[in-house]
Amino acid sequence: MDTEELKGTRNCKKSSGSEVLCSAIAKIKTRDFRGKKKEELLKQLDDLKAEFSQLFIAKVAGGAASKVSKIRVLRKPIARVLTVINQTQKENLRKFHKGRKYKPLNLWPKKMRHRLNKHKENLKTKKQQRKEGLHPLQKYAFKA
Amino acid sequence: MSPTFQQPNTLRLRRQPKYPRKSAPRRNKFDHYAIIKFPLTTESAIKKFEDNNTLVLIVDVKVKRLSHKAMKQLCNIDIAKVNFLIRPFGEKKAYVRLAPDYNALDAANKIGII
Repeated sequence: MDTEELKGTRNCKKSSGSEVLCSAIAKIKTRDFRGKKKEELLKQLDDLKAEFSQLFIAKVAGGAASKVSKIRVLRKPIARVLTVINQTQKENLRKFHKGRKYKPLNLWPKKMRHRLNKHKENLKTKKQQRKEGLHPLQKYAFKA
Repeated sequence: MSPTFQQPNTLRLRRQPKYPRKSAPRRNKFDHYAIIKFPLTTESAIKKFEDNNTLVLIVDVKVKRLSHKAMKQLCNIDIAKVNFLIRPFGEKKAYVRLAPDYNALDAANKIGII
């Protein structure tokens, strides 16, 4: 992350240039981000977070109402970029592990993930054990 | 022969997992944006800018040290030392004393809190 870039955004917050930047950021659509590379997404996330942290400073310093209301507005774009990052990461991991015998646990199907282990499945109450013990499966032999 | 049995040293192999249990490590949620929340602009905080060359910041409660990178997010300063306290409502306040060649008032102006 560039310090120069950061300084640039901070210094232009007082000029009208920042308004353009703000509106551009606010119009984030997930569909635009789907194909992008990870570095681009991370950079966009950084920019958003930098802007977000600035808004808190503006709030504390008694900033304009437009700035303070932007705090609420910016949370969803940040979430969107993070969603795209995480979703593409998971998708790529699934592709990587596809067909392999051993997969990481969070890539298992949901049913398998939430199975009880063998010990827990076979646990029985004392009552049930007693019932089963009283009437076990009988083995008979026929006299020929 | 001693009366106590002590386990003999056996071969202990390192783990060679056939697959990672987690597919990917979790992203770091405690990045330097999460560390510093905002600076304070109360009267006593402003007094600190002028008299003691310190900035007063609200940081995340889990913060032990303020890294240079985290401070860079606010502006390019050198830190002499940091003192922390936890406010009654649970937030952590950091008194960041700047190095002598930096001026807290200038820094505060650059951040935008004056």
